[in-house]
Amino acid sequence: MRLFLLYFLVGIFLILLQSTFLHLLPFGPVVPDLVLVLCVYLGLHHPTVGAAVGSFVLGYSIDVVSSRLLGLNAFAMTLVFLSVYFSSRTIWLHHPVVSSLIVLFAAVVKGAALVLLWVVFLSTEGFWLGAAKYILMEALLAAALAPLVFSLLRRGENYMKKLGALV
Amino acid sequence: MLAFLRKNQVPVSCCFCLLLSVYILTAAARGQLKNEPLGAVLMFIMRPLQIAAQGTVNWISGLHENYDTLAGFRSENERLRKRIQTLEVEQQRLLEAAATNHRLKQLLDFRGQLPGKVITASIIANNASSWFRSCTLDKGSADGVRKGMAVVTPLGVVGQVVAVTPRTAKVLLLTDPNSGIDVLVQRTRARGIVSGSLENGTILKYVKRSEDIQEGDRLLTSGTDGVFPKGMMAGIVIKVTKQHIGLFQFVEVLPAVQSARIEDVLVVAAAGGAEKN
Repeated sequence: MRLFLLYFLVGIFLILLQSTFLHLLPFGPVVPDLVLVLCVYLGLHHPTVGAAVGSFVLGYSIDVVSSRLLGLNAFAMTLVFLSVYFSSRTIWLHHPVVSSLIVLFAAVVKGAALVLLWVVFLSTEGFWLGAAKYILMEALLAAALAPLVFSLLRRGENYMKKLGALV
Repeated sequence: MLAFLRKNQVPVSCCFCLLLSVYILTAAARGQLKNEPLGAVLMFIMRPLQIAAQGTVNWISGLHENYDTLAGFRSENERLRKRIQTLEVEQQRLLEAAATNHRLKQLLDFRGQLPGKVITASIIANNASSWFRSCTLDKGSADGVRKGMAVVTPLGVVGQVVAVTPRTAKVLLLTDPNSGIDVLVQRTRARGIVSGSLENGTILKYVKRSEDIQEGDRLLTSGTDGVFPKGMMAGIVIKVTKQHIGLFQFVEVLPAVQSARIEDVLVVAAAGGAEKN
């Protein structure tokens, strides 16, 4: 329960960062997708039903804050969780480079899911080149930030566990 | 069956979430998802945090700009540096107050020129996803904001309200690929639709090849969409390309309002445009 609360609060904090502070970074319109990194972390280290629902809720929260249509990011984040869940059964990892590669893969999965839904539900005029650029930039940014975010999450988790042991 | 579900509970729950997402998407696309409680609760939690965070972001941006302006004076001498820093902080505070005063006065003057109900609001957050251009306002249905209302500034069109909670409203910006605003070219009265595009920034769509459009032409809202008041500035034409084939010209537009630089906006109800919630 404590961990669930921790990840919910972390998720809200990351969405807050993405919608405010991260716009100060010099990446133009591309915002680093830290929530994606969190979903990958959940898929790798907490492959549970709660984490799957958590990924859905996080995606839905992004939709509430900024999407034109509700459900786009909810779908994409759940798909990311599922794909990472399956890949984590075959890949054993703890190295930062491997975590970056997994996040890179997850970002491409998310991008592909968004493109698919966009084509079905939204306008595709002047879309393809922009979409390719966004997928690439988002994936590279997320992969670059993944080791740092993973390390912070692991520390937070250890701290919560210690706190639980003390109480 | 139960054993299978128990063994594969994570993939099964993921599939359930995926199906739920598709259901939500379909319902939202058909406009059947009007009052969803989770979004309202989430925005209720996020609103004060976003106001505080955006306030800090604005302060940091202001400080950065001010730093650039005063960087030249810093090298004069060590004795004056501390004095300058003190003055800088004070000046920043006063400049910010003056700028806010000026901005609000402009908004107030402009507000008097607009028809119908007008609500002043502040931007408390931007888009959390790179794929959309949206922002969140600190006013919602409790303040009279309704889905479909136009969002403008004295400089021109900002966007349109696409979702409201009691205390916040989500605005789809003019620069979003899914937006579309009916406009006239001021010089020739040629018509088109201004919209965002992931590929080319903001563009003017559906302008016939035969229409006379030049760089520097001003684009004004036509008022026929029932959302935006007539004659509001939408943008300026910055590039016109006539391709070898096709019915239409390709026109790139510089939006009149740079959404990253605005803090306060006016939400306007055009006649019959806003949805009654």
